[in-house]
Amino acid sequence: MKAWLTFSPKIVSNSIISNLIKNYDIDFNILRADITPEGGKMLIEISGTQQKQAAEFMEKEGIHLNPINKVVKKDEEKCIDCGACISLCPVKAINTTEDWTVEVDDLKCVGCNFCTKSCPTRAIWVTE
Amino acid sequence: MKTVEEINERIKDGDAVVVTAAEMTALVKENGAKKAAEEVDVVTTGTFGAMCSSGAFLNFGHSDPPIKMSRTYLNGVEAYSGLASVDAYLGATQPNRKPDIGLEYGGSHVIEDLINGKEIELHAEAYGTDCYPLTVIKTQITLENLNQAVMLNPRNCYQNYASATNSTDETLYTYMGTLLPNMGNVSYSSAGELSPLLNDPYFQTMGTGTRIFLCGAQGYIIGEGTQFATEVERKNGVPITTAGTLMLKGNMKEMDAEYVRGATMPKYGPTLYVGAGIPIPILNQEIAQRTAISDEEIVCQIVDYGVPRRNRPIVKETNYHELKTGAIELNGMEVPTSPLSSQKKALEIALKLKEWIDKGEFYLTSPVEKLPSKGYTVKPLEIQKPRTLVKDLKGETLILAHPNDAINEVAKKMVQNNINHLPVVDDNNKLLGIVTSWDVANAVARDKNNLTDVMTKKVIIAREEEPVDVIARRIDKNKISGLPIIDKKNQVKGMVTAEDISRLMGGD
Repeated sequence: MKAWLTFSPKIVSNSIISNLIKNYDIDFNILRADITPEGGKMLIEISGTQQKQAAEFMEKEGIHLNPINKVVKKDEEKCIDCGACISLCPVKAINTTEDWTVEVDDLKCVGCNFCTKSCPTRAIWVTE
Repeated sequence: MKTVEEINERIKDGDAVVVTAAEMTALVKENGAKKAAEEVDVVTTGTFGAMCSSGAFLNFGHSDPPIKMSRTYLNGVEAYSGLASVDAYLGATQPNRKPDIGLEYGGSHVIEDLINGKEIELHAEAYGTDCYPLTVIKTQITLENLNQAVMLNPRNCYQNYASATNSTDETLYTYMGTLLPNMGNVSYSSAGELSPLLNDPYFQTMGTGTRIFLCGAQGYIIGEGTQFATEVERKNGVPITTAGTLMLKGNMKEMDAEYVRGATMPKYGPTLYVGAGIPIPILNQEIAQRTAISDEEIVCQIVDYGVPRRNRPIVKETNYHELKTGAIELNGMEVPTSPLSSQKKALEIALKLKEWIDKGEFYLTSPVEKLPSKGYTVKPLEIQKPRTLVKDLKGETLILAHPNDAINEVAKKMVQNNINHLPVVDDNNKLLGIVTSWDVANAVARDKNNLTDVMTKKVIIAREEEPVDVIARRIDKNKISGLPIIDKKNQVKGMVTAEDISRLMGGD
């Protein structure tokens, strides 16, 4: 599961995330974070058997959870496998196979749209 | 050792041994160039990259009554018509004249649509003559109905090309693709060891009249391309920078859109992905050795596109083997790399050309005249008028604000001096921020009295040594109306505004 977490200034100093990792059987990966005295936003990816419980715990502690359902798609007809998108992806969701075919991994995609804006043939897009 | 005629005899008999440039590299490594030269007849190369200097001559045929077209538009894209009455040259990078479409559908897209057999709207205008009375035409055309549709590309297949990165703190949109800030990525465009001109670096086999694979059809090299150069630094026999180029010609009616695509580099404009493959006859051991070049042996420079000048600084020297791993080390950081040309299609093209030769559908030609192998350099365009630098702008009295100034004092300064921007500096005249009349109005409206709360802290600046034209582009790109001038010691020297620049440009 990928989600944006937003938290208020009041709980910025609480050690919610470390408790989360300690108490639940999950892998926790921070993809982006922006934390200021006015509060914080964090893009995370959680995997593991206790994802649901972990999400409930965060909500209970005052973190607002906004799951991302965006996935990246590629039009095989339009794509020329040039690879211009590869180095732009912040989460390495775009790679090439052995024969240089460009492959997108929609599980990794965070929907930033960097690739879609930069595709020379407009062959790639992000959808809900 | 062998002649092109002998190789063609073998092709006819179905006996020719044809391998791709990548296979040849492995073959020579294993058995040596001597043995490879004896065994192999032809090495096929391939590339599929964005080649802006491309286009097509079209002949529409005569209408009744006839017209001498002086302006033509194809699906809204202008083609150059300063030729005889119904000829036009459609350039790949020409944007659409409709502002809402602009860069999204240009000359390259029309070329792709024509090759795909789609109907294209032709809009032609003329001034009318006794022999050509008609002044306007609006109709539909297709590739089939054109008399001629000849792709003629003045500069394709660069022998080598620098890869790009960006040292500035803003994203740049270039013909090398999107370049992330702070050297966040590197893009490269050559097909490396498969690339045609890297496999015959001294042009021992190719020139005017060489038959090639062009966009799925059989086309020709018609001479050296524009910006052709030979006098460049080489390593392992191949240029480490841009050098040779080709002028290519092919019949669009025989092309396959699988090997030619219209594309748009974001915020740069349309470009054409051209698929080209050149067969190299293995006439002797030396030619065999040259075609054995590997990605590792082809050196490539990474240059900084953050500097918008003719000579961009070189950040690092690398090779295609390293670039193709997907990441490269720059200043201690691992930076992801992107190919801009399709390595997959480059190989497909080399294989397709091999298939044609194997099947006896493609015969080699000896060039009528080989490409020059020495004596060519690229001349720069010197601008006659001296370039105006920021420091040459007529300086007005330097008016500054300090962080502790009261808002009403700042407002007074602006009104008295009839200005809209005020740099905010510390005691050493170092820039802290900028405040505009809008910021002052904002402060009053929100009851804020502290200048540091309303000023913009991330300021876009102009350096004294920068050309004014670069600043004009910066103002335009960032949609701002003025920016402070900073000297080498980071001290504020003045302001340059959009009005200053338009006054200067208007005075030309």
